[in-house]
Amino acid sequence: MGAVLAMNVIRQSALALAALGLMSCGPLAQGGIGTQLVTAASTLAGRTPVAPPPPQVATDEQIAANPGQFVRVNFRDLGRWDTLVVAGTNGARVTWIGSANLSVTMENGIVVATRGLPRDLMGADTVQTWAAIRAGGGTAERRHDFLDNLDQISPRVLQCSIASMGPDPFERREQTYNTTRFEEKCVSEQLQFTNIYWVNRQGQIIRSLQAVSPDAGYLQIDVF
Amino acid sequence: MNKARFATTSVIALMAGVAAHAQQSDVNFGFNGMPGMIDMPTAQSPAKDTLAGSLAYQEGYFRATFTYQLTDRATLAARYSVVDLYGNPTSTIIDGEFERSFDLHYRLLDESAYLPALAFGLRDVFTPGRFASEYVVATKSFGDNLTVTAGLGWGAMATRDGFDNPLSGLGARPVFDDADPEGQLGSDYWFRGDAAAFGGLTYQINDRWGVVAEYSTIAYPEQPFSPALETDTRYNLGVTYRPNDSVQLSFASLSGRNVGVSGTFSLNANNRPAQSGSESAPTPVKLRDVQAAQSWNRATEPGLRAATSQLLQMEGQTLTGLEMTDTTARVRYVNGRYRSQAQAMGRVARLLTQVMPDSIDTFILEPEARGIGLSAVTIARSDIERLENRPGAAESLRAGVAFGDAWPADSLADARPARDAFQWGFGPYLTINPFGGDGNIAVSAGLSLRGVYQITPQLIASGAIVQSVLKADRRDPGSDSTPDIQNVRTDSQFYGDDGLPVLQALTLSHYGRPGTDLYSRVSLGYLESMFGGVSTEVLWKPVDSAFGLGVELNYVAQRDTDMLLGFDEYDYDVLTGHLSAYYDFGNGYHTQLDVGRYLAGDWGATLSLDREYSNGIRVGAYVTQTDISYDDFGDGSYNKGVRISIPQDFFIGDTSRGTYGTQVRTRSGDGGARLSVDGRLYDVVRDAHEADLTDTWGRFWR
Repeated sequence: MGAVLAMNVIRQSALALAALGLMSCGPLAQGGIGTQLVTAASTLAGRTPVAPPPPQVATDEQIAANPGQFVRVNFRDLGRWDTLVVAGTNGARVTWIGSANLSVTMENGIVVATRGLPRDLMGADTVQTWAAIRAGGGTAERRHDFLDNLDQISPRVLQCSIASMGPDPFERREQTYNTTRFEEKCVSEQLQFTNIYWVNRQGQIIRSLQAVSPDAGYLQIDVF
Repeated sequence: MNKARFATTSVIALMAGVAAHAQQSDVNFGFNGMPGMIDMPTAQSPAKDTLAGSLAYQEGYFRATFTYQLTDRATLAARYSVVDLYGNPTSTIIDGEFERSFDLHYRLLDESAYLPALAFGLRDVFTPGRFASEYVVATKSFGDNLTVTAGLGWGAMATRDGFDNPLSGLGARPVFDDADPEGQLGSDYWFRGDAAAFGGLTYQINDRWGVVAEYSTIAYPEQPFSPALETDTRYNLGVTYRPNDSVQLSFASLSGRNVGVSGTFSLNANNRPAQSGSESAPTPVKLRDVQAAQSWNRATEPGLRAATSQLLQMEGQTLTGLEMTDTTARVRYVNGRYRSQAQAMGRVARLLTQVMPDSIDTFILEPEARGIGLSAVTIARSDIERLENRPGAAESLRAGVAFGDAWPADSLADARPARDAFQWGFGPYLTINPFGGDGNIAVSAGLSLRGVYQITPQLIASGAIVQSVLKADRRDPGSDSTPDIQNVRTDSQFYGDDGLPVLQALTLSHYGRPGTDLYSRVSLGYLESMFGGVSTEVLWKPVDSAFGLGVELNYVAQRDTDMLLGFDEYDYDVLTGHLSAYYDFGNGYHTQLDVGRYLAGDWGATLSLDREYSNGIRVGAYVTQTDISYDDFGDGSYNKGVRISIPQDFFIGDTSRGTYGTQVRTRSGDGGARLSVDGRLYDVVRDAHEADLTDTWGRFWR
């Protein structure tokens, strides 16, 4: 039977390939079909390559002794924490990067960009949000740029209302921080989210929960 | 306590856009790989830009179908079938005959509250059309889970319970005459002859399981060259299982006699599993001091060059040349990592802000491939500094960028890293050639050993030795169906079929820039598995133009089937070449026209049209017509086919210059066959030119 023969041949070659996939070597073989198939197979099987736990780049003591040098970010949808250090400063915007090569850029503690997440925030304008927090509440317009599945920039304009929820002290490393909690509700036609900021008496955001994108989820950020 | 608060707000809602996704999995794919029940069609269509691959097997009948939703309403399919046919007389059976077919399905009306969706379709549109049939079909859904379908079929779909054609103007359906040319549009047959009424329903029990029942009007009558499949009843019953949105598995009882299985795997080109990618974060921009200097200390140049080279290497970019003036840095590099040249360019530009002296305010970035500069993109350093992480940054930067031809290499300081000129690789390969002349799919898998020796950046020797692990035992060539033309492709199955190592290719190639907007290539040696000789090419393609023009001239001889060094077996040589025009229409449509002389000495033209998505997915079709007569050409009077390629990063997010691809075509006949030489110029240069850079410009800042 021709069809059975065809099926057999296809099955044989699949088995042969599976065996051969483990055998690629040499500089030119990097990214060859064997490697690609093995990588693709493990990804499709849901076994996304598990990154090692982030190395402890800074101890609690180091963090405490160097205020302004570190932030801790919980990438909730990735299920991982990381300690980030400053990689670059561009005006009021500071880009923090961690051991997993994920970066978060903030302006006055408000996230304006991420890199390395499944759906990055490519750029954002958040000055009105910051002004509203400084004023104790108000409204703001944000623009968020995302990179879509066709590699085009997809902008979202969000209308936000910022309100103080009153004093909300929290404890971190056995120290109590007296903060005011602000909630920012943002809505656009395609998107809605709520950010939370804990602002200390000096007017700094020292803890926050901020949305990146539906695919990348929220970041919980602790600023030291 | 704060954790609890976090949890209550951990939902980012997508308010729109979800509905469009859900629809994709609602469409049931039949065993033909098209919207349908089992053998019969429905009036539905998958979401626009859906690509689906489908395999279906029942005893004596195997189908592999590739389906593409070209527009919201039009579905196209290309299919290979391996099927047993009745011989002539029908007491004989032709085992495992290989058939190719093309289908069109078009949804005329959308379903509304009271009216069903209405569609028509044509199956197996080219002669002789073993499965040729046409239909008009209506499908109505009731609630979320039940659909009911009724339709009229012609041709193969009216081989049971047929009645007089309701389209009274159309006469009887002709019988295909074996003396007629094959591979023609079968428009003389469409909607002619008897019609028959079919129907059925699908019921989705839950998200994963569904059932389907149909009344089929395909009877597989015992006629010469018709599928030798037997049927007892007119009812097909099936169960469908969808483990996720992109997979549908079906198990069916066919006509009371057979059991069939099928699997359909679909993806949408607009719905990238890898989302926006998983590459590491880039190095951020470094600002200059406010008081910018007017010049810089030239004594530091060697150090700067070394530092730049090291930084670029971390991003998979190889610095090959650097030229610095008081205010400009011209950087030539090879992108060894990113599919998108724009993304590579964005990374290089940001890295340059880390090392370049403050007085340098202009970056001229020149991507290089095969030793030649492909383009020069001039970017103001202040734009990089000003726009980083800003909304609209890609668009604003793009507006200020200048695209031009790469400058001459003379003034560049050589910055190529010292590395071995010889590189090698050893790994597996797989090829599937569905066009063995004896009707079977020729599959070859094995090991290949490749080596590349870079004599100069532009002069490269490369070779590949291949050992197949699947020994093909080919039948001897029997009767040559096209005795009057050289077997330039139809003998491909005999090449390297004796299980010994073969020389796949051994070439010396040179790339050059003979002038502004001009590119050249000379390749010499064993160019491909069947031909060796010399291949030369010149391409004119301005960086900012959507139009390109190329001329290729080759003198080649046919290699021996043992694929060693000889050319004696066929004693055939030919002068072949083409004039090629390339045009990018925009919106993802690309076309190419090749006019010239093909391998068998035939003259003609090939027209290709490709739909290219900015994320790298390409779906295309091509047709070739040459002056070879129908009689000489054998089965299929002109070459036509479809091709698809999907980049690796679409699935796994990790970026790569590689592409998964498969190319299927109706036949690799001897007419309209082109030399398969590696590294044609247009493919080498286009992704660094303005149009392609613009397509993925959104990745500049990624």
